[in-house]
Amino acid sequence: MADLQHFDVAIIGGGPAGQAAAVALSGHGLSIAVIDEQPRPGGQILRQPPARFAVQAWLEGRSYAPLKQLLARFQALSGITWLGEHSVIGVQQGSVMAMGPEGVTTISARHILIAAGCQDLAVPVSGWTLPGVYAAGGIQAFLKGQQLLVGSRVLLAGTHPLQLLIAAQIVAAGGTVAAVMFAQPRSAMIGALTKHPLAALRRAPDLLATAGALRTLARAGTPVLFGAKIEALTGNDRVSGAITNQGQVACDAVGLCYGFVPQSAVPRMAGAQMKPAGPAGGWACVHDEWMRTSVPGIAAAGEAVGVAGAAAAAAGGSLAGIAIALDLGLIDADAADRAARQPRRALLQHRAFAALLDAAADPTDHFPKPAGDTIICRCEDVDHATLTGQVSAGGSANAIKLATRCGMGACQGRNCEPSLLRMIAETGPGSDPGFTARFPARQVSIADLLPPE
Amino acid sequence: MERADVAIIGGGLVGCAAAWQLARKGASVVLIEAGDINAGASGQNAGSLHFQIERRFLENGDDLAEQGAQIVALSRHAVTDWATIEGDLAADLHVAMDGGLMVAETAEQVALLERKAARESHEGLAVRTLDGEQARTIAPYLSPGILAANFSADEGHADPRAVTPALADAARREGASVRTATRVRTIERDAGRFRVEGEGLALSADQLLVAAGAWSTEICALVNIHMPLYPVALLMNATERTAPMVPHLVQHVGRRLSLKQTHAGNLLIGGGWPSRLAQTPNGGFDLSARAQMIPESLTGNLLAARDVVPGVTQLNLIRSWTGVTAISSDQLPIVGPVPRVPGLWVAAGGSAFTLGLTFARMLADAMTGGDADELALLSPARFEHLNGFMG
Ligand SMILES: Cc1cc2nc3c(=O)[nH]c(=O)nc-3n(C[C@H](O)[C@H](O)[C@H](O)COP(=O)(O)OP(=O)(O)OC[C@H]3O[C@@H](n4cnc5c(N)ncnc54)[C@H](O)[C@@H]3O)c2cc1C
Ligand SMILES: Cc1cc2nc3c(=O)[nH]c(=O)nc-3n(C[C@H](O)[C@H](O)[C@H](O)COP(=O)(O)OP(=O)(O)OC[C@H]3O[C@@H](n4cnc5c(N)ncnc54)[C@H](O)[C@@H]3O)c2cc1C
Repeated sequence: MADLQHFDVAIIGGGPAGQAAAVALSGHGLSIAVIDEQPRPGGQILRQPPARFAVQAWLEGRSYAPLKQLLARFQALSGITWLGEHSVIGVQQGSVMAMGPEGVTTISARHILIAAGCQDLAVPVSGWTLPGVYAAGGIQAFLKGQQLLVGSRVLLAGTHPLQLLIAAQIVAAGGTVAAVMFAQPRSAMIGALTKHPLAALRRAPDLLATAGALRTLARAGTPVLFGAKIEALTGNDRVSGAITNQGQVACDAVGLCYGFVPQSAVPRMAGAQMKPAGPAGGWACVHDEWMRTSVPGIAAAGEAVGVAGAAAAAAGGSLAGIAIALDLGLIDADAADRAARQPRRALLQHRAFAALLDAAADPTDHFPKPAGDTIICRCEDVDHATLTGQVSAGGSANAIKLATRCGMGACQGRNCEPSLLRMIAETGPGSDPGFTARFPARQVSIADLLPPE
Repeated sequence: MERADVAIIGGGLVGCAAAWQLARKGASVVLIEAGDINAGASGQNAGSLHFQIERRFLENGDDLAEQGAQIVALSRHAVTDWATIEGDLAADLHVAMDGGLMVAETAEQVALLERKAARESHEGLAVRTLDGEQARTIAPYLSPGILAANFSADEGHADPRAVTPALADAARREGASVRTATRVRTIERDAGRFRVEGEGLALSADQLLVAAGAWSTEICALVNIHMPLYPVALLMNATERTAPMVPHLVQHVGRRLSLKQTHAGNLLIGGGWPSRLAQTPNGGFDLSARAQMIPESLTGNLLAARDVVPGVTQLNLIRSWTGVTAISSDQLPIVGPVPRVPGLWVAAGGSAFTLGLTFARMLADAMTGGDADELALLSPARFEHLNGFMG
């Protein structure tokens, strides 16, 4: 383990939230570390191709323009120490432990901002562990980050409208999409949107570019189906098809897209108070009007406080940056309030739209039904039938983890926890706080944790 | 009001084993657990079955070491209890008793090992002293820096995830009633009986056994009794799974280390490194909140592991966790009847994974009219002076 590094502020995550916070904090002469697993800043939405690729027309869409501007401003800042390829494995008040190419470093900072973004909700269904089955976001990450298509005939299925955008991006990259299947009926989706037509109309194009996506898919002849539910994915050594309530579909890759959940390992490990993040499940940080969590010195912004899209993440990040400047005594309360006015307004607006999107994409009643032998916890190979037995005996998530090893593997339960909590919720009211978060957030070599000789 | 011969508070190893043993003897038993069975120390511990005198007894001089030696007598019973438990419960608890090594890296530690082995053989525990070469012959994974080791053929480990739930199942099969998600709130003494109440619970019992681990002090306080038990939070670490490499329990005579490989293949690394207990807003310890890892404990523990089993540096750490257990003011467990309150029994403190089955069996005998001679050393009576104004 390398020596301690000191910073005024440590920002975990170089997506829109982390960038906006850094921008808001600039000009005060602070030392700021921005820590990210990715080699380059951008976050989930502007996942940059490796610097050595000269990619033409990278993420051209109109909706990406403001985010690209933010990224450019961030990259032009001075006083920022960019710690790319560093995974945060532990956070306590005042310190961050991160694992990078040179081993593990401990960073001390008076203020820590958690802006670690979100991840795809992992959704188990018979056959989902076959090679070729991805979370839809994974497919998009390959596309954005490496310009790579995961298959020659991709099926997208789920409830989240983002799959339209991903399908269009696949088509635009020269791929074929077998179909985009929404499990919910068209009425459920349209219904949610038409309840608030103005918000929907005003915001839909820039968040999801849905209209454009639909046009692209129509031109390519890609079917977009509603009420189409996946029952099983089939194949021998790789996925080759899907059985759905509307018949069989041949494909050589599948993207499942039921929604997104915040990356909550880091704030939970720090002991921050959490709340249910939304209909897709997961946990979001509880925060005050200045994005401070319940742990002194630790703030949260972006998808860490709830999945609301890139613009909301950027607005929340600005607010968190302003608040840290306020807490450090660099600006007074009036200046902070003035500076916060615009991001607060933006945050409110974007969150209203995100709530609408949540309703339209609500997967609650549309999850596929796993078979008894469907693996729920992939790290420890725990199947659905085993968990059903435990859940019906009435144990908490922690007790079931202890009894079955579900969630005990290398991913720390990141993927199986929402599935298990849904099973527990089906047995009746009452809220289960989920697995106790433990160090390390990512598995880490013991050699790297040892002090230098 | 519901009636029972015995109410047991705490669904850890000790409470569940006692419920099983008492129910087998025909007592009507109600076991009350605030959360889930096995949610306390019994599900968080290292699972070591250590019968050699523990390092913690050796580091503070001769008197304590003498007490440690007396525990050896109980350990001999524990060897038998562990050797037979899987058969008795008809359950696979991953009990492995393939031997345990306590190692030394310095000349002083070697001398300590020799004194320890002498005490142990005096108490009838078979321990062999091996030099470094001999130790590496049976344990090739040991570092060349190991100068000597004590080997006890009976030591080993069992699966803390499996043991306590299996005991609870066995207790139920014998007719005990097991109530989870039921926190005991009040205990009244009423005409020689105990009235135990909590959410959805109103029970009157002839005898009350407090087996609430680190919470036992609080429970005794409900009966207006002082019990000098202190919570301690300890660190445990697990590596990723790996091919079989360490068949033994490995401990260190001079450093905090316990290391073993689980049935599933993970190496578990612990040894009593401290964690920071959570605090309540009003001061005092909050045993219900997760204790916080101390980074120096993590590195200290991993260094000790590396110095003894260098192969660990090839592995990934997948999890570190903290668990809370109780230690008494004189380090010995507190097990037996409380003189000032007839019918009140306590079993808490110490290494009650290794010794818990034995405590429970002996308590069940004593609580049903047998004698408790072998537990005399651990009797709560030694703290009677604290309760002169209590009761
Ligand atoms: C696949 C996918 C597609 C999406 N598409 C859209 C879209 O089209 N439009 C939209 O508005 N929103 C989209 N979102 C939501 C999108 O993530 C956010 O809107 C936006 O990127 C959130 O910004 P953020 O700063 O909160 O997080 P992110 O942009 O996700 O940035 C978080 C950063 O933190 C890093 N990180 C996380 N954990 C650690 C750790 N332990 N150690 C070190 N670094 C860590 C990550 O590498 C990441 O770079 C998508 C999300 C996903 C998962
Ligand atoms: C990290 C760690 C490693 C350890 N390693 C070892 C080892 O290798 N070998 C060994 O021998 N020992 C070890 N120990 C010690 C051992 O785990 C404990 O001594 C043993 O598990 C104690 O069991 P118990 O049943 O007394 O208590 P616990 O398992 O703690 O059970 C007490 C129960 O009481 C319940 N309770 C509390 N308050 C109430 C209430 N008001 N109403 C109802 N129920 C209540 C709790 O919820 C809990 O489930 C270790 C301990 C820790 C923490």
